[in-house]
Amino acid sequence: MARRVISVLIVLLLAVIGLLPLLVMFGQSLIVHGRLSTEFYRASLASTHTWVLLGHSVALALLTTFFAVVLGVPLGIVLGKTDLLCRTLLMALFTIPLLMPPYIMAVSWSYALGREGFVARWLSVPMAQQTSTWLFSLPGCVLVLGSTFLPVVMFLTMTSLQSVNPRLEEAGRLVSGWFEVLKAVSLPTALPGILLSAILVFLLSLGEFSVPTFLRYQVFSVESFTQFAAFHEVGAATASATLLVLIALLILIVERQYVRRPLASLQSTFDRAETVPVTLGPLRAWVFMLVCLLCGVLVIVPVLVLVIQSASPAAYVEAFSRAGDSLLRSVAYAAFGASCLTMLGFFLGYFLARRQLPFWQALDFLTVALFALPSTVIGVSLVTLWNKPATSFVYATPLIVLLGYLAQYTALTSRITVAALSRIPASMEEAAQVAGAGWLRRVACVLAPLAKRGLVAGWLVSYLFCLRDTGITMMVYPPGGETLPVRTFTLMANSPPRLIAALCLIMVAATLIPLGLLNGVVRPMRAAR
Amino acid sequence: MRRAVTGQRCYPFLLGLIAIASLALGRNPTVSASEQVVVVYVSEDQVFSEPILKDFERDTGITVKAVYDTEEAKSTGVMNRLLAEKNNPQADVYWANEPIRAEVLKQRGIAAAYVSPNAQGIPEMFKDPEGYWTGFSARARVLVVNAKVKDKPTSIQAYTDPRWKSQAVIANPLFGTTTAQVAALFTVWGDERAKAFMQGLKANRVRISTNNGESADFVASGEATFALVDSDDGASRIAQGKAIEVVYPDQGAEDIGCLLVPNAVLLIKGAPHAENAQKLIDYLLSNETEHKLAFAACAQLPLHPGVETPPTVKRIETLKLMPIHYAEVARILEAIQPFLKEWAGY
Repeated sequence: MARRVISVLIVLLLAVIGLLPLLVMFGQSLIVHGRLSTEFYRASLASTHTWVLLGHSVALALLTTFFAVVLGVPLGIVLGKTDLLCRTLLMALFTIPLLMPPYIMAVSWSYALGREGFVARWLSVPMAQQTSTWLFSLPGCVLVLGSTFLPVVMFLTMTSLQSVNPRLEEAGRLVSGWFEVLKAVSLPTALPGILLSAILVFLLSLGEFSVPTFLRYQVFSVESFTQFAAFHEVGAATASATLLVLIALLILIVERQYVRRPLASLQSTFDRAETVPVTLGPLRAWVFMLVCLLCGVLVIVPVLVLVIQSASPAAYVEAFSRAGDSLLRSVAYAAFGASCLTMLGFFLGYFLARRQLPFWQALDFLTVALFALPSTVIGVSLVTLWNKPATSFVYATPLIVLLGYLAQYTALTSRITVAALSRIPASMEEAAQVAGAGWLRRVACVLAPLAKRGLVAGWLVSYLFCLRDTGITMMVYPPGGETLPVRTFTLMANSPPRLIAALCLIMVAATLIPLGLLNGVVRPMRAAR
Repeated sequence: MRRAVTGQRCYPFLLGLIAIASLALGRNPTVSASEQVVVVYVSEDQVFSEPILKDFERDTGITVKAVYDTEEAKSTGVMNRLLAEKNNPQADVYWANEPIRAEVLKQRGIAAAYVSPNAQGIPEMFKDPEGYWTGFSARARVLVVNAKVKDKPTSIQAYTDPRWKSQAVIANPLFGTTTAQVAALFTVWGDERAKAFMQGLKANRVRISTNNGESADFVASGEATFALVDSDDGASRIAQGKAIEVVYPDQGAEDIGCLLVPNAVLLIKGAPHAENAQKLIDYLLSNETEHKLAFAACAQLPLHPGVETPPTVKRIETLKLMPIHYAEVARILEAIQPFLKEWAGY
């Protein structure tokens, strides 16, 4: 009974939050001057501009994925598997770009490489013109998005490698060196996790709009935003977004074919043994220097640029006076959004993992499609559906922002739950069932405690995504209720660079401080156990 | 096991959720009509408009709930939000950064008529004759020229002059005040001449930038010789010490004059807080607000006579203005969209 009620609730919730707004928008895109028509789609497909933008979007997503995988996988191996110095510190540093709204990295690089940036001031103006041209184009977008999403690949590689059964690696070590073992045993076993990270990066890059907008590189998500924001063409915006959804669904099909294979060679939660560390030996110092160099270029330099640019107490005083309330609001919205996403994701993840029916797989498709949609499109669809006098209690309050978060980010928490539950043998739940425990009791007392690491991970990931969200919040926030990323974004026009840099650093602190506090709470608890 | 079943473990989690929910949702930004609140949607840059709204809060005790636009939305995001909210208005006032959008909202039935007592003295060309919107504090469309150039262009027709081939830059005419500028040219010159001018831009290899700010930066860095931008783009770069000079174009006796782009404020039809909305409109149209915007970094030109200005800000009486009707410009702007999209390769 409880299972039925919850499954119906989930279906209703996803229908109202995700499907209905999209259907309303899709319906509007098929009505031109009061008549049923496919004009927007025909116009979109017939336009050369469409295909050029589509090419740009795919090129950006592919190159960003390539960048993140080429650097992220070796980093994941080195930081997750070897005896490298300062691994925890380096891991934390590499994570910083992922914690911020991506456009902050773009702002920072523009202060360094832009026409009047540090290159112009410290080196030469012609050189700055070249670096600026380079930054405000495809390579610049790849640099910014690649360094932002690199931690996704890094962490999933680390997690996958740590889950490889050490007995297999030890067996391999009896007959060959570590390089061969990694190549023949560890990496092939961890491949599903690495592929999943590549798919995630591809989808995130495909739908990202703030960085291409800031760096003036025309892609589909920007086009969709422009169609709505500048021309108020909801139909054209939907037509633009539909192609992105189709690409995302194609990627999902590929994922189902090649990624979701049985994870037999991964350790289950119950036979976890210590992972076998790789000893770097004489290479340790060299690898450490290389990793530090990479960290310096991708993380330290952009953060340092912001610090230098904002180096005046007046900038911070002004930033706090202008955005102090937005800061609190951001943290509250993100925490509440993450809690709701964790609950929704957990139950959806349960049904995906345990009841592999086509119906639940279809819901999975829906959440992933929503995740891949440009956030601005979700924002438009929410306005279209909820802006009615009868639903003002949703539209005119922060609830509308929460609905946006649930629509876009449920795929994250449900997928993390699926991964967490796949490590828990079904026999555990069956044993509780035989002992007479009802479904809700089994979920609450057996599965949730066993999957708590996954739940905490899901909460953290969704908290970060809610905190850094710009696209949805910007479209729907209630008057006077903007978040810090939105406020920074709206203040950019003609504001002094020192103010923007200070706001960006406050945003970084707003992300890191709660995570630090959480770590401070969790670590002693773990140590006490 | 039993402890978990009874839910004791869940209590801290649930309490945390409730606390967060209260924090997030407790201060509901939308309030009842009886509260001292006004909701304003703002297209003027937040860095300039927010201090004015804070002053209004301080002076009147009325809380301002604002939604600001972004440069990335080409400053049309909130206007489109107003269009989307037509049947269920959330806003009381719209502060537009140019009157074309105000005129569009009037034509779409989103504005309500309100003639503020503080509109007296503002020249008629900057007000809707029926009182649906009122202009204040204007930007001028000016040429910014690299300071190293000796013989500076003095007319926008320099864009089609072979002498300046490949040296000029202009913001994408599909967006912002450049669209208004092109539409104004269509009203003043007529279709044929205006279209020839636009084709002339292409023939003279004029560079297209994404916005006026970028155009001004190209000129400041020497990558372009001149650009047509808003006067606040020029003023802010000069304040940063950049090597550019501002030229008010077409000031000769036979010339078309310089286009002025005032801010415009309008009351939203069905505004939930109409009384407070009128107070805010009165405040924005006051001499004091124009004075503040003249002395701010945006250096806007006051429309009321007698408002003090800094030496760098011209008074409108000293300028030859382009003779246009903003309603006509708004109408033409919609009509030329297909041409502009085709011109820009959309």
